[in-house]
Amino acid sequence: MDPATTEILVLGAGPGGYTAAFYAADKGKKVTLVEQNPRLGGVCMNVGCIPSKALLHATAILREARESSHRGIAFGPAKLELEKLRNWKESIVEKLGQGIKSLAQHRRVEVVHGRGHFEDSQTLRVETSAGQKFIRYEKAIIAAGSKPAMPYAFDLGNKRVMTSTEALDLPDIPQDLLVVGGGYIGMELGTVYAALGSHVVVLEALPSILTGVDADLVRPVSRVAQKAFKEIRLNTKVLKMATSGKQIKVTTEVDKQRRDELYDRVLVSVGRVPNLADLGLENTKVTKDDKGFIQCNAQLQTDDPNIYAVGDATGGTLLAHRAFRQGKIAVEAILGERSEFENVVIPAVVFTDPEVAWCGLTETEAAQKNIEIQVAKFPWGASGRALTFDRPDGLTKLVIEPETERILGVGIVGVGAGELIGEGVLAVEMGATVRDLADSVHPHPTLSETLMEAAESFFGTATHTVSRRSS
Amino acid sequence: MDVKLPQLAEGVESGTVVSILVAEGQEVKKDQPFMELETQKAVGSIPAPSAGVVTKIHVKQGMEVSVGQVLISIDAGSGAAAPTGAPATAQRPSKPAVQPATAEPQQSVSATPRSASPSDYRYESKSGMPPPAAPSIRKIATDLGIDLTRVKGSESGGRIALGDLRDYVQRLQQIALQRAPGAEQPSGQSAQTPPPAESIDFAKWGPIHREKMSPLRRTVSRRMVESWTMIPKINQFADGDISNLLALRKKYAPVYEKKGAHLTLTALLLLVLGRALKKHPRANSSLDESAMELVYKDYCHIGVAVDTEGGLIVPILRDVDRKNLLQLSQELQALTEKTRQRKISIEELQGGSFTISNQGSIGGSHFTPIIYAPQVAILGVGQGQPKPVAINGKIGIRTILPLCLAYDHRVLDGADAVRFLKDVISGLENFSEADLELK
Repeated sequence: MDPATTEILVLGAGPGGYTAAFYAADKGKKVTLVEQNPRLGGVCMNVGCIPSKALLHATAILREARESSHRGIAFGPAKLELEKLRNWKESIVEKLGQGIKSLAQHRRVEVVHGRGHFEDSQTLRVETSAGQKFIRYEKAIIAAGSKPAMPYAFDLGNKRVMTSTEALDLPDIPQDLLVVGGGYIGMELGTVYAALGSHVVVLEALPSILTGVDADLVRPVSRVAQKAFKEIRLNTKVLKMATSGKQIKVTTEVDKQRRDELYDRVLVSVGRVPNLADLGLENTKVTKDDKGFIQCNAQLQTDDPNIYAVGDATGGTLLAHRAFRQGKIAVEAILGERSEFENVVIPAVVFTDPEVAWCGLTETEAAQKNIEIQVAKFPWGASGRALTFDRPDGLTKLVIEPETERILGVGIVGVGAGELIGEGVLAVEMGATVRDLADSVHPHPTLSETLMEAAESFFGTATHTVSRRSS
Repeated sequence: MDVKLPQLAEGVESGTVVSILVAEGQEVKKDQPFMELETQKAVGSIPAPSAGVVTKIHVKQGMEVSVGQVLISIDAGSGAAAPTGAPATAQRPSKPAVQPATAEPQQSVSATPRSASPSDYRYESKSGMPPPAAPSIRKIATDLGIDLTRVKGSESGGRIALGDLRDYVQRLQQIALQRAPGAEQPSGQSAQTPPPAESIDFAKWGPIHREKMSPLRRTVSRRMVESWTMIPKINQFADGDISNLLALRKKYAPVYEKKGAHLTLTALLLLVLGRALKKHPRANSSLDESAMELVYKDYCHIGVAVDTEGGLIVPILRDVDRKNLLQLSQELQALTEKTRQRKISIEELQGGSFTISNQGSIGGSHFTPIIYAPQVAILGVGQGQPKPVAINGKIGIRTILPLCLAYDHRVLDGADAVRFLKDVISGLENFSEADLELK
């Protein structure tokens, strides 16, 4: 059988993959998109960003309702129909998946469903339901993504030990849920289950949840979580898990004290690993770094000149919006345009309660790299808008280069921080100075004012707070 | 990290790889030399900008490499933060190995001595951040192959606006157009530089043979064209009576010889020039056209043109005004020796504020030297000859030294030049014996 031919082959139809495929098609290339799952969209759309945010939104309403009695609005106890909730979430995912599919059709991107395996630097074998198919390409873009890590010791073959993928399926509402790992996935899903009524215990091996995020941005999240969750146990290691009837027996160690506990379900959220096993990369010149991610240059070309890589498979911060950008850059590089993934500000948002968002240089990173900075902060207690939300537990801060007053980074914690960080990204990307931000009129009353007031506080002139400079 | 060929010296754009001192997989320390490069002026080593493991060597022995080209890649290892305060080349974002012809402008700009601003400016930030510019501006720069660290931003915080980029590109174009024919024309030349003059078939009129211009010859050629075409210059002739000076030299030469120093006329001239330049700082200055400023130098580093087998090289004798005659004689001798052996370092060829070109030893007479930009004056010296001159109404025979001061009329006026030259002549004619005595 003669192999099918294509100009650009994209392996994986997640955010990085479909962006690359669509962009290449828009640029007039013949594109083949290979995806092993029946539904396009990858982790982000199917078992990541989108379903988790749907659940977080739905459960936030539960919390809002419970907490509004002191405002003189009281509801009866909420009635939960898990199946309906699951279906609603599923309908969103399905709608988006269909959307991607029709976008691919409109662009005449050929979609092949099946597992891909590189035969050599220019041929991919796909195991489809209708048998093997060989595709010969000029250039390939690997966008194989990542999956939740499941340490061998926790892999009991028991459905009660879940990763984020299974947890998002909402199999039931466990009475006692253990979340192993206090990173953003554990904290977000812990928030969902806690709102649904589970007693959630979060175990974190390190001394803080959301490791790597500036401490002042984590604090409000810790405070809320400590109330919403049964317990957050730091500096704690999980030694062993074992099936115990309809429960999981978990042996933990904190301060050298061992402890056995029973949980109805366990969510393991200890990181993500790239989907690069069994791809046949050994038949190409593609190389991996010591963490197992694909190595590529600023144009996202791997060590195999015919193969590019984007998204989670390339390591770094595993975020969909990073993959979106990389997908475009890889295509531009293949088309011979001068394009590179350098000095791109990638914002990060943690959708906890409240949300945490940052972009550019953080205080933590500046300290690690010994970069001299100045920080301007505006606490949300002084924001009228935050008070009307009943959520003064927020903070907006700017990380500033002292000599030039250029904004190098922005960090925000508070409700809606994820929506606010966009302005921070624009400021950092544009090389804006503190004065630029302070002199841009922001609408009142909104939370966006906190960015302006943080900038004003740098000059000691924030209207709604007494800054250190003036006091 | 990709290690690129840094700007080694003013006017040095390329070189030939003499030897590679490391192997792939080898660990290097910061500042450890990893490659020897022969440039137009000297053989020198290139130090590693940071410690790490050499992951790839991109060049081969004998290859010609130009500024900005990736030489080797170093993996600084995990956790090794970017060295703050490292050389500028190390801080620049690493670019892919492909640096086609469009990267040429930034090289030609650094080769141009006149416009101080585009060649010398380099964005540096303590935080190690790239220069501030909107994504749209960065995209244009990437498309054009322009290194934004070379572009001075005019907006608050040093942000680069489209206007700044446009000004920079226009300056580059101007400079490219000023590069006259005969300037260095490396292969793969883009359309920005004027094409070389039409090739003439000399063999039509008889047998010929051709010889490649050496890198040194090409540099001399280019620099001279630049200076000749860009500087409005005046040649001021003068004669100095060095009879007394020669008598003094004859008396003291053996004393200096004992100290291992040749008491040459050039050494004596250096002493005189050092003092004259102190008195006439304008002759020791440079013009910063972009800033519309005169740059006065508190130092006095004099270049001495040396005739070598390979061609003209001008090493610099530093702080001439602060040295006595013995020091000047010894240093001049050592410097000349080093230059002739091509062992002179790039640093020793940089930073001159005035130049002297003495043709006396090979019998030259009056000649009009070319100013070595960005300096503003050069003294051409011929051979002292016995000449009949009128002394107090009588004819006498004196040794007369032919001198010519070539100067940049943008900086020095005729009167300035004459006053300076008179002070030089007076220094030669009334040379004090005290300056010759060894203390």
